[in-house]
Amino acid sequence: MATTRLRNRATIRRVVAGIAAVAAIGALAACSSAGGGSSDGKPSGKLQLLVSSSDATDAGFRAVNDEFAKKYPDVDVVFSTVSNDNYPATKSSRLTAGNLDLFVVKGMTETPSYAKDSATDDARLASAGGLVDLTDEGFLKKYTSTLLKSQAIDGKQYSVPTGVSYYTGVFYNKKIFADNGLEVPTTWSQFTATVDALKAKGITPFGLGGKDSWPAGLPMLASVAANYPTVADKQKLAEELWTNKAKLTDPTEVKVLQQTEYVLQNAQPGAAGADYTSIPAGFAAGDFAMTVDGTWDQPTIDAAVAKKFDYGYFPFPGSETAADNAFLNGKTELQLAVPTSAKNKTAALAWLDFFSQKDTYQLFLEKSGFSSAQPDIETSPFLQSISSYTSTYQPAWDQIWFANNKAGQDAVFPFNYPALAPLGSDTPEQAAAAAQKAWTAAG
Amino acid sequence: MAETFPFPRRTPVRVTFGLGMLLLGIFGFVPAIGVLVASFTDLRGLPGLPIAFVGIQNYIDFFSPAKWADSANALTNTVIFAFASTIIQIVVALAIAVLLNRKLKGRNFYRAVVFMPTILGVTVTGLVWSLIFNVSGGPAASVLQLFGGRSAFFGDPHLALALVILVQVWMVLGVSVIIFLSGLQAVPEELHEAAEIDGASAWQRFRSVTVPLLAPAITANVLLGIVNALQSYQLIYVLSGPNNRSTQVLSLLVYVQGFGGASGTTLSQSQGYAAAVSMVQFVLVAIVSIVALMILRRREAKL
Repeated sequence: MATTRLRNRATIRRVVAGIAAVAAIGALAACSSAGGGSSDGKPSGKLQLLVSSSDATDAGFRAVNDEFAKKYPDVDVVFSTVSNDNYPATKSSRLTAGNLDLFVVKGMTETPSYAKDSATDDARLASAGGLVDLTDEGFLKKYTSTLLKSQAIDGKQYSVPTGVSYYTGVFYNKKIFADNGLEVPTTWSQFTATVDALKAKGITPFGLGGKDSWPAGLPMLASVAANYPTVADKQKLAEELWTNKAKLTDPTEVKVLQQTEYVLQNAQPGAAGADYTSIPAGFAAGDFAMTVDGTWDQPTIDAAVAKKFDYGYFPFPGSETAADNAFLNGKTELQLAVPTSAKNKTAALAWLDFFSQKDTYQLFLEKSGFSSAQPDIETSPFLQSISSYTSTYQPAWDQIWFANNKAGQDAVFPFNYPALAPLGSDTPEQAAAAAQKAWTAAG
Repeated sequence: MAETFPFPRRTPVRVTFGLGMLLLGIFGFVPAIGVLVASFTDLRGLPGLPIAFVGIQNYIDFFSPAKWADSANALTNTVIFAFASTIIQIVVALAIAVLLNRKLKGRNFYRAVVFMPTILGVTVTGLVWSLIFNVSGGPAASVLQLFGGRSAFFGDPHLALALVILVQVWMVLGVSVIIFLSGLQAVPEELHEAAEIDGASAWQRFRSVTVPLLAPAITANVLLGIVNALQSYQLIYVLSGPNNRSTQVLSLLVYVQGFGGASGTTLSQSQGYAAAVSMVQFVLVAIVSIVALMILRRREAKL
């Protein structure tokens, strides 16, 4: 009798467990298919937006999303922000799962013929029909035509440029400079004299977040900007490296690494292990007088400094000729694209149209700190203060250089700054030789 | 009766084992074959891109002169990381287990403390140690400063791997201690008493009685430690980032190639190449594990 009762209980438990399992599967299936859009052309439903994160741009996108929600209350914007290092993996998995409507693409530029096998992932995606062709969308006409031209793939437009950033310059503490009788340097000799003067007063010249590796590449890009001042100079260098007419061990190429090493060696103690995010606080605290950084970080630096002192931004003076150091180099920032697999293209296109409107775009620029990708937009006082350095747009070296997938890590940039002490243990000459070896071996 | 023990009927055994095998097949064997197939293609990270069969090109690339500096660096770091962390882990865990096996006041509390890092998980552990070794004002930097020293810790190419090994040992020590403790508790007390009566010193009793009887626990710990360390990359990723060459191990190389791209470059994700690297890693793990198992089993038999 007792055994029968136990069996009955066991059967009931199994039935309940079975129903629960079926219900759970059903619920999960329902979750995965949620989203959708509208059939009547009016934006509604979920809009999945994925961007690579930084505090300033996240704030900009959130502000835009809030305004968008007021105009389109039927659209639920699901905003995801992921760190740069994790962005490619997240983007890949979400595109595969088909739950992205709008996302940031990178490296949207035509691949030169000498590097035809090195097209970027997103350029390949566009060519393979993975991105919606935006060429005929009215909102694109609001953007600067030269920027649009630089991001065309096979003559078509697949993304919306959210702004422009410059990152071959140096933030400096005006108070420290004034207290020590220092002027903004415009040549390499003046720059080294400034550094020497600061060191003589016991002031650390540079702050640098070397733990994340890429911030240590900013002095390298800044040095290339000065030593190869025009677009033509950089394009010629890239082509000559690819065709093996130039070597990474040539004097100017080694000079780039020497200047990068100079910044690394004059950075704060433990710079190689410091987080990039700790630098604005250190700059605000007066721990160092300068930091080589991008204008995207200006809102964060501004918040950290909190008007305790004035600060400025000048182009890295890597050349002895002041005219070569006259312009900042930059890039088109966070380009937004719609995948062809998007479930809610209507809402995605509505969002892009809304984003491109003057008022919304102005709001985004205020929060993000980007320079405008649209003409006739009022810029921030900081951006106005550097307008003489940005009057002619000059793309930075990493916007021109195509890495060879077949080459080793020493030749990726291809100026081998990660090998330099204290990040690595090489001298500029050794780092250059290792880069050239890796480059030559790739054929 | 003896033939069917412990299961009175065959059907439940077949069903449960069958389900287990099915799950293992679907989630273990099929993906493994998938990775092998992917290693012969130029598969990329994004859906919709054309995929081409490239034969053994990815394997040739891994051993090519252009990539060899990176491959050799990752292989060397992997071997150093696996062997150093396993050996230190075994020695320290055995010492702690012997200590905690004694009649000690608050013994269970100490056991819980030793095991606690294991349940924290990689991210929390990484965060804790990143804060400890924070270069600006972290506890380690402050202590070092008292002696007039400075260090970039995880940013120092000569120190980073050693620190990562230290954290790895700290994180996985608890499991080894538990395995050793269970082994120690199975050692009959009479053997120790007999050895003591025969005049054996504490060290002699440990070497000639405890260690031989702990051989199965040592085997389990060594194998678990080596396999775990050879496959581990998450902790290194959290502590020193994906692109730090001084701590780049094979599994991290797989992650970076397959999923990471490289920030600030045009490098594409190459999951085909990552699959080839993971097959090289699989062969390395298999060889090391089999050799270690053979040596340890032979030693167990001798003891």
